[in-house]
Amino acid sequence: MAAMLSVESLSVLLGEFQLRNLSLAVQPGEYFIILGPTGAGKTILLETIAGIHQPDRGRIILGSREITRLEPRERNVGIVYQDYMLFPHLTVRENIAFGLKQQQVPKEGRRRAVEDISTLLRIDHLLDRYPDTLSGGEQQRTALARALVLKPCILLLDEPMNALDSRSRELLRHTLAAIQKQTGTTIVHITHHFEDVYLLADRIAIMRDGCIVQAGEPSNVFSHPADAFVADFLCIANLIRGVSTPAGKLARIVTNGQEFFAASDISGRVVATLHPEDVILSREPFASSARNCLEGTVREVIPVGSTVRVVLDVGFPLTALLTRESCHDLELGAGSRVFATFKATAVHVIAAAG
Amino acid sequence: MRRVSLGLTALMFLVISGILLGLVLYSPLPVLAGSLANPEIRFAILLSLATSVASTCICIAVAVPVAYALARYAFPGKRIATLVLTLPLTLPPLVAGIALLLFFGTTPWGKALENAGFAVIFTPLGIIVAEVFVNLPYMVRIMRSAFAAVNPRFEHVAKTLGCTDSGAFFQVALPMARHGLIAGTVITWAKAMGEFGAVLMLAGATTMRTETLPIALYLNISTGDVDRAVAAATILIFIAIAALCTVEYFDSDAGVF
Repeated sequence: MAAMLSVESLSVLLGEFQLRNLSLAVQPGEYFIILGPTGAGKTILLETIAGIHQPDRGRIILGSREITRLEPRERNVGIVYQDYMLFPHLTVRENIAFGLKQQQVPKEGRRRAVEDISTLLRIDHLLDRYPDTLSGGEQQRTALARALVLKPCILLLDEPMNALDSRSRELLRHTLAAIQKQTGTTIVHITHHFEDVYLLADRIAIMRDGCIVQAGEPSNVFSHPADAFVADFLCIANLIRGVSTPAGKLARIVTNGQEFFAASDISGRVVATLHPEDVILSREPFASSARNCLEGTVREVIPVGSTVRVVLDVGFPLTALLTRESCHDLELGAGSRVFATFKATAVHVIAAAG
Repeated sequence: MRRVSLGLTALMFLVISGILLGLVLYSPLPVLAGSLANPEIRFAILLSLATSVASTCICIAVAVPVAYALARYAFPGKRIATLVLTLPLTLPPLVAGIALLLFFGTTPWGKALENAGFAVIFTPLGIIVAEVFVNLPYMVRIMRSAFAAVNPRFEHVAKTLGCTDSGAFFQVALPMARHGLIAGTVITWAKAMGEFGAVLMLAGATTMRTETLPIALYLNISTGDVDRAVAAATILIFIAIAALCTVEYFDSDAGVF
């Protein structure tokens, strides 16, 4: 299958930020998430794809067209920034119709297109308001509508969840998943929120210092980080899919026949995350205040700098982060029987999309 | 401390309003009305209005693109350019006036302009030139901060939505900087109405020819006609009050001063 977006050996130098020989391919209809620390050049990459910055070297191909030297308006690329960038002097309706007006779509056509997209995004009751009277989530949906109404080949999202509270963030995640399903739009989304990855991404890429360090399916990248940086950057990532039911003040999460507890009131299908450094390993079970103590087998021991990532099978894959000394003292190796202890409050629970 | 500072504030308020009220109330109303009806004062009002409106329009036309360049683009020599462009802000208008006089009076360029029909020295056109030269930096500064307050990403989005560079400027950047534009226009106009030093140097002080309101005030006080001088001054005070109120109203996000 031909890629929807190909970025080939792209180099951009922009003050203290740069992209260095960056290549990337995104498939049609794919939800592609780029993760990276602040200053990795994520926003520059999006803005270069959108045509705001001219690359020094390299090519950008969208669909079957090379767009490297085209003006932003000739590219058919939509962009949504984290702080929305809604035009404050225009109403929601005028904001959404802005692009259609540039294309000189007649008034009646504009009205219908604006109403269709705003119904899809559930902002049709806000059309005559000004952006500064909307909540963050409503502003973000307006910004999405303004980009989507032009039916872009590709939609670029620059940390769209950043300025939102956790509830709006969850809503927006569901909205994005629904939009992608309904419109089939190819989406490139940059973020440093891992939750976005679990719930949305078909594929992910990890970016550092203007380069893509690793790209692939999330499970692949998480289980086989390419280098110490990726491992380190992703080390918050024990992600456990399961079904949650209330159990007293806690949630009982069942996955793959194994169960554990989390301090959460979310029930139904969930994704639970757990920092590897919050997992304590021991040879014998021990009494403690921690709610969860699971028995399992060591699958793999991966040294990462001064620490060691120990991948366990406790009915589901679980990673623990230990110092080299602890690992040595416990005499851990592939096949060792161990107990993994962690507190219910260390488990972070997110409702799963769909 | 609190009592001293509050006390001083009250004192300053009383002194300023007292002094200005004293001027406004100096002539009895019929005398003031008579002075306002005087052909010389009416000429001064009309000339001031015409020249200040013309010079303000020129200032807007030049300052808006220049301010946009200073706010948006990086170019070599930007710092020195900014400095020179805003130098007339701190330059005494008399100095600006004599520099203009020498430029138009003694250089080949000035002579060429005069031969081409643009006589500047001691003409009403000179009033406009002097006002533009002195006021342009204010407009540039105000518009520069107004544009700088608009995140360039608004224009980036507009361009991905189908705008050309100039489309994004006129549909997004300029409307978003409109409060700065209004405040800047009012200040520039009010300053043009009151400009004296540079106008005196370049356009001279010829009765009924280059006699703007401040020049009328100056000419009449030199010849001892206090009533007419007060009439001119009173009009200038009301213009100042109106300008300040307009700016206060729009200044909340323009950051003029």
